[in-house]
Amino acid sequence: MNFKTKYFLKSKFQEYYKTAEIHIPSRLEAREWGFISFDEMPETVMRRHKSFGSRGEVEEYLAGMAPAHAYHSVAYYTYPSAPTMKEKQWQEADLIFDLDADHIPGAPNSYSEMLDHVKKETLKLYDLLINDFGFNEEDIRAVFSGGRGYHFHISDPRVRSLESAERREIVDYISGRGLNIEKIFYKKAISGDAGSENVRMNMLSPESEGGWGGRINRYLVSYLTDLASKEDAEELFTGFKGIGKKTAQKMIDILRDETQVELLRKGNMEALSKVNKDIIQTLALQAVNDMSASVDEPVTGDIKRLIRLGGSLHGKSGMRVTTLSISELEAFEPLTDAVVFSDKPVKLKVIRPFAVQMKGNDLYVEEGTQELPEYAAVYLMCRGAAEYGS
Amino acid sequence: MDSRYLALYPFVSEASEYVGGLGFSPEKLLSSRALDSARLRGKERVIQSLTGEIEKPSPSGSEEGKILTELLSYPFARILVSCIDDQFLTRKYALAEAKAAYRLLKTQQPEFLQELGLDFQINAETYENMESHDILFDLHFTDYIKLATTLKDLNWKLVNRKMKAGHVRISKEEFARLLQEAIRSRIQNALPLSVPEEISEACTPYLAEINETLEEKKSDFGVGEFQKVESELFPPCIVQAIANVRAGVNLAHSMRFAMTSFLLNIGMTVDEVVAMFNVSPDFDEEKTRYQIQHIAGSSGTTYKPPSCNTMRTYGNCYNPDEICKNTKHPLGYYSRRMWLKNKMEKEKEKKA
Ligand code: SF4
Repeated sequence: MNFKTKYFLKSKFQEYYKTAEIHIPSRLEAREWGFISFDEMPETVMRRHKSFGSRGEVEEYLAGMAPAHAYHSVAYYTYPSAPTMKEKQWQEADLIFDLDADHIPGAPNSYSEMLDHVKKETLKLYDLLINDFGFNEEDIRAVFSGGRGYHFHISDPRVRSLESAERREIVDYISGRGLNIEKIFYKKAISGDAGSENVRMNMLSPESEGGWGGRINRYLVSYLTDLASKEDAEELFTGFKGIGKKTAQKMIDILRDETQVELLRKGNMEALSKVNKDIIQTLALQAVNDMSASVDEPVTGDIKRLIRLGGSLHGKSGMRVTTLSISELEAFEPLTDAVVFSDKPVKLKVIRPFAVQMKGNDLYVEEGTQELPEYAAVYLMCRGAAEYGS
Repeated sequence: MDSRYLALYPFVSEASEYVGGLGFSPEKLLSSRALDSARLRGKERVIQSLTGEIEKPSPSGSEEGKILTELLSYPFARILVSCIDDQFLTRKYALAEAKAAYRLLKTQQPEFLQELGLDFQINAETYENMESHDILFDLHFTDYIKLATTLKDLNWKLVNRKMKAGHVRISKEEFARLLQEAIRSRIQNALPLSVPEEISEACTPYLAEINETLEEKKSDFGVGEFQKVESELFPPCIVQAIANVRAGVNLAHSMRFAMTSFLLNIGMTVDEVVAMFNVSPDFDEEKTRYQIQHIAGSSGTTYKPPSCNTMRTYGNCYNPDEICKNTKHPLGYYSRRMWLKNKMEKEKEKKA
């Protein structure tokens, strides 16, 4: 990044910050702030241990300095600007989840597909946070990072005092790690008529049960009844290893019979006792895979981390770190909605060929001097793929 | 709570208020002839915590004098533990007090457990299971994980709990077990108390027997064998790795693993190992802790360091010495030198 480019980007960021709507974190005076400036680039020098007393001070700083990256602490401190962690005196911290393409298995390569992939993950996380953890919608803030993923901030007072190990327990729940499937599928002894042997019944957590047990029940029942309702159901079932025509037909009959399905929902698995245990296990694991979210564990466990400020710009993309409510999250198109710069043409020298999809346009640029809409020019320069001017 | 109960659960805030209200200063607690039995019982508490379990009198029928003895023996026991100020003893003592409380709690009515929970800021609602008619305790998951995270069994993991809308329901026995955890950490975190010199002197007559039992127990547990970390007995490969870390040189991943697991296996705590890595200005404590904790194994099984063969394969065997020739494992090197050292010391003693 040469001097002219830095100067251009800084002035663009400055322009943005003059009118930007910044999302100030709660108890702002207890937060530590950190900034990385364009000036020292390509070196990244973090100026941290800053603190502000009011929204006005933050906005003034941003408009004046136009930093490439802006962060605040997830923690609340007694003395946020003290130079060491010890002197800062940690009080408590928001609960943070980080969903980043780098940590999600199977993320595709193209930027836009990758972002779609991460977004699916955010919706799964959201479902867990609301239904299992019981957080209120207002307590959850989703933030597009401006880069490759999303952050979730939860400031419910009950979670703020949790320590790292406890936060990692929450991550294990969300990712399904350490789940004991044997506790979900179990055998229950029922005493038969007097004198007769005890019968052991195959059981499964009922659908109404909290936690992963109930989730697996709901997944299994809907998955299997869905298969059974298809016209080629027999073929679909015999496709499983170890299921022959007879068993398949029996399963279809059971799964098309509402009273039998009701029993399954209540946790009675007898109807499926003929089905190979491995198949059920595989489906249960599939259920966990399907409903769990891959959040990055060290981020949640770190109760002193700095995190991107909502409403600031991400200096490696020029896109806005966008704070979203849940309904906004569903409709959110990062490559359009987080783009803040104009369509005005800007001249720039492309260093390496680059492809990106922004504001619904497929942009593919070759090396050499080009004219591009401002938003794309900023993006390429931030990525280090172009320099300003000709 | 009735004073009979306070004597059985002397760590609750109400009990310390009650004792405070009686107006016994630590001096009086130590010198009053009338409190002789309380002091003896205090010493017994500590010794029982080492040898087995702390026995509690039955809650019914105790007369007033006995109740007072039992009640006052607790602060005295804490003074004794603080005088000795040994980590092993402190942990053992806190655990034994908590376990004794757990045994009693299991037999109590749900309302009693609920009330005790409040003293630890745990708000639990009780519900009756319609099918089995058991009483269940309903906790917010934050209260639950604060206590359950330290428990090793996987069934305590939140992921294995039936959580609904942020609440977890557990049985009475499980709730009692969580209370045990809360009690243990309250007692352990408050120790050692700072004991003025005069008081510590006045305690001397009670300490000899405790110290003796403590030493016995430590050797039974094999504490002392690997508990005291003798860095001058480390094998050359580990010495080199530590020197590198101190000099700010980044270790190869495999060496980092070998060194960390070695240190954990010979009895260093996660905190101590984290502190060893804390030398560079950009030290990322959380990340380091996370990696070390992973090697320490959250389920209780610590990873073993790799064998000398594996060390050699990765180029991590450094400057092997004479003892290395007969060594297959860095841990073996360490215990061999430990053994040699003990032998030499014994011989010296014999001569002396
Ligand atoms: S022989 Fe084994 S103990 Fe000795 S330096 Fe090599 S790896 Fe370490």
